[in-house]
Amino acid sequence: MEQATVPDPGQPQEIVVATDLSRRFGEGDAAVDALRDVTVSFERGRFSAIMGPSGSGKSTLMHILAGLDRPTAGSVVLDGTEITGLDDGDLTKLRRDKLGFIFQFFNLIPVLTAEENIVLPLSIAGRKPDPEWLDGLIRTVGLDDRRTHRPNELSGGQQQRVAVARALVSKPAVVFADEPTGNLDSKASADVLRLLRHAVDDFGQTVVMVTHDPEAAAVGDRLVALRDGRLVHDAAPGSAEEVIELTKQLA
Amino acid sequence: MPRLALKSLWARKVRALTTTLAVFIGVALVAGSYILTDTIDAAFGDIFSESLKGTDVVITSKDIVEQDSGETPDFSARLLGPVKRVPGVALASGAIFTPGGFFDEQNDAIGAKFAPKFIASVLPGRLESLTYVDGGPPKTASEATIDKAAADDAGLQIGDRLKISGERRVKSYRLVGLTELGNASFGGASIAQLTLPEAQRETGKVGRFDQISVAAAPGVTPRELQARIKRVVPDSVRVETGQENADRQTSDIKDNLSFFTIALLVFAGVALFVGAFLIFNTFSITIAQRVREFGLLRTLGASRPQILGSVIAEALIIGVVGSLAGLAGGIGFAKGIGALFDAIGFGLPSTAAVIATRTVIVSIAVGVLVTLVSSLMPALRSTRVPPMAALRELEEPRSRRRVAVYAGLAALLSIGGLALVLYGLFGGLSSGDGAKLLGLGAVCVILGVSLFSSRLVRPLASLGGWPLERLRGLTGRLARENTQRKPARTAATAAALMIGLALVTFVAVFAAGIKGSIASAIDRNFQGELVLQNTDGFSPIPRAAAPAARKVPGVGTVSSLRTSQAQVIGDGKEKISGLDPRTAPDVLSLDWQKGSPDTLRRLRDDQTIVDQAFADSNGVDVGDRLRLLGQAGRRGSYRIVGEVKDTADLLGSAVITQRAMARNLDQTDDTFAFVKLAPGADPAAVQGRLKTMADRLFTTVDVLNQQELKDNQEKQIDTLLNLIYALLSLAVITSLFGIANTLALSIHERTRELGMLRAIGMSRRQVRAMIRYEAVITALIGAALGLVLGVIFAALISRPLADEGFTLSYPVGTLALLVVLAGLAGVLAAIAPARRASRLDVLEALAYE
Repeated sequence: MEQATVPDPGQPQEIVVATDLSRRFGEGDAAVDALRDVTVSFERGRFSAIMGPSGSGKSTLMHILAGLDRPTAGSVVLDGTEITGLDDGDLTKLRRDKLGFIFQFFNLIPVLTAEENIVLPLSIAGRKPDPEWLDGLIRTVGLDDRRTHRPNELSGGQQQRVAVARALVSKPAVVFADEPTGNLDSKASADVLRLLRHAVDDFGQTVVMVTHDPEAAAVGDRLVALRDGRLVHDAAPGSAEEVIELTKQLA
Repeated sequence: MPRLALKSLWARKVRALTTTLAVFIGVALVAGSYILTDTIDAAFGDIFSESLKGTDVVITSKDIVEQDSGETPDFSARLLGPVKRVPGVALASGAIFTPGGFFDEQNDAIGAKFAPKFIASVLPGRLESLTYVDGGPPKTASEATIDKAAADDAGLQIGDRLKISGERRVKSYRLVGLTELGNASFGGASIAQLTLPEAQRETGKVGRFDQISVAAAPGVTPRELQARIKRVVPDSVRVETGQENADRQTSDIKDNLSFFTIALLVFAGVALFVGAFLIFNTFSITIAQRVREFGLLRTLGASRPQILGSVIAEALIIGVVGSLAGLAGGIGFAKGIGALFDAIGFGLPSTAAVIATRTVIVSIAVGVLVTLVSSLMPALRSTRVPPMAALRELEEPRSRRRVAVYAGLAALLSIGGLALVLYGLFGGLSSGDGAKLLGLGAVCVILGVSLFSSRLVRPLASLGGWPLERLRGLTGRLARENTQRKPARTAATAAALMIGLALVTFVAVFAAGIKGSIASAIDRNFQGELVLQNTDGFSPIPRAAAPAARKVPGVGTVSSLRTSQAQVIGDGKEKISGLDPRTAPDVLSLDWQKGSPDTLRRLRDDQTIVDQAFADSNGVDVGDRLRLLGQAGRRGSYRIVGEVKDTADLLGSAVITQRAMARNLDQTDDTFAFVKLAPGADPAAVQGRLKTMADRLFTTVDVLNQQELKDNQEKQIDTLLNLIYALLSLAVITSLFGIANTLALSIHERTRELGMLRAIGMSRRQVRAMIRYEAVITALIGAALGLVLGVIFAALISRPLADEGFTLSYPVGTLALLVVLAGLAGVLAAIAPARRASRLDVLEALAYE
């Protein structure tokens, strides 16, 4: 297995830095502040989880960090680039070249095979995958015998493993995972979390995951919690039980 | 439930709009066809009633056998004397009304190219129907008037010179008056007036009249006068009251135009047929997408008939709105088609748009019916949605039985349609019934192929998508896969374009065949180096032209061909040619089946040479007698002495001598004059001299060499071809709406997928490209199917013509161009959906269910 981006002492440890982020939806009386002055940063090579009850702003935070949404105020610096002012074309390129995504609903292209889905980000960029790296990745996610299957021939867990591989294939600066276990049974969830942990530990991958699953959050190195659009907790997650306790406090 | 229909239409405005547009186009064409021809009818009615306003009784020659040119024979001027002496006649005058050609001083033709130009004589007193807007009637042999519209068009004013070409040398007149005929519009037609003796001289009708107009004395009714005049004139002329004459002419025009109406309605039918595919497809897709909604309604207790009712109501609203808009649009279409005809040189007369009750009823009935019928199948499917579908997405499985039923239906329609086509072609039916069967058969085949084509989508899409995948990588690949996701949907979308392209291909292949056959017939038949023909390509040339050509240095033989329609006694109307046996063999080389060039050289006035196809279908042979009834009612009997194969229909059904033609068929006009050069003469020099002569003396005459003749014929076919293409383009446009609709709906289904692609880095440009390629592949599938069908139709339908020397040729360049154009059409259709897709909000799309 190729050893990827080891944290370089010459580079800043923070790969995503968000400062004073605010996001307001709607106007006037109906306005909702999804984020209020949130300042947070995420380090290279770590597995961070963002938690919070419904409406806490955790998804909004992730969307803004990933360049999918724009803040009403504040700044996001991603791998040295200030992204809040980028236009759609540059944001698209940024997502393509520097980010990986894992969604709750797998979001695979039904007409492409598992392998084609995995290399999709590279195909979009018009690049060819390094065959050795790809083989290794596919073996790691345990889909070696499913390469030519189409998504509807795969189980939910397998589909999400395809999505994980797709997020990792371009060795992005950050992988954003939005409720990656939200649609899986416990066995498949454990598989996916193990893979993400493995990517962080063995490839030096940075992962930021939004979840409301305490088990999932417990796998991370750090737990950030939001409530009513504000950062209310930032520490190592501890055990799943501790996370559950925290969730109760937040709710 | 009706409220639900309205609301669901409103919720899908764009889709409803494009569907309505499809109905609109078809209905507008139907309404436009009727409105245009009704308006032309009315305009002619105006012309005829205006021109006979002061005339109580009209005497014309009977045209026992109507001529294609519409001309009636002239008659002796000696009839006028006895008519004048009839008690109760206040005023009677002979009149000339004969086609000619008008030119300005630069020899530029005045009036629309293919519209008729008439040389008319001045009538005395109230018999004259033209009024003078400016100046007055011609008084001397060197004066003329012309209608104001033509004068304005050509920039002529009183005092200018006007050249008129009749049967003699072209003559220049001083313009002394500008005329109008009440408020009637002539379209591109034009009337120039001369004094009666001058008109007779110019048209070669000295001592003859085309018509005698009579005004009744006070107290005498037209009917009485008509009865009295009938007693003093021979049976060969027709005596009518002014009203009768106007009515007859109007109804003649109506008959001639009915063919035109039918032809236009056929194109309207094609557009509607294509529209039906679009409606069917749109309803199928939206109903598939609304399965949950229907399931929910069923859970809440809606009955099947209620669900069906709501879908039908939607279709009904679209049908009614589209039809009403189409009816209004029909007025515009009528104008558009009229302008199209103007542009290619048929200036059609026009007046305020005539919207008959029949137009309203037919248009709305057709529009609503087509919409209802094409939405019926999808609507019925909506009733099969179980309540469970509300809870989870139920992909409706296509049962094996249904697939088998479809395959059977496809085979039945294709084979049955083909059988109908073949029976229509070879069943020995009348041409009208044959054409109807042919049309019905073609519709069945098209339906059959479209049903079957869902199976062809996979391979065809792979084929069409291959270059895109190779060149464009992922976007091409995804586009190809997307067309293959729902093959039935892609097939129905492509089928709409297939119809238009099949017809375009058919027409193109057929026209190429005709062009090729004409060209080879010209090569084979024309011994002469040069041909004199009318600039419009079909009217006769002045009688004085051929004799004048004979005197040009370097000309060896000039021999003319005359044509007339005659009734074969006991059978139908046929085209007959008149040749001069002494000279014709020098300029024409015929394809002899029985007999030899000597047969023609020795042809006597009571003999004929027949076309093989005519002989075969009429069961006559050499030695039999052919009895013909001429246009003025004279009979003649001819012994068949030879048989030729007349490939390009140059000669018609039979050849007789020109002497016999003049005597029995009252025809002395030359259609063509063929020129054989004197030995050793330089063709280019002689052609130059003939051209100079024609320019000076016979402005309506073109002098063409063989190549130019071929080009000329091709150009005429091309003109017609372009007209057909223009009318078919509406069907193609409708099918583009279909592609756009299907794309928009498919994109809607794939919203989340598109959101993901955008999230992981697909650019807007790539999204647009992907959707564009999808449209291109769909269009190419339609083009491929259409091309194959069109070629098959052309090959089949030309089979019976093969005996007449019709050889099929494939205009490869044109067909290749069609494929390219179809691809471009796909690009065009994709513009709006692609833009919408590329502007999807990524987050919303990801959250979309």
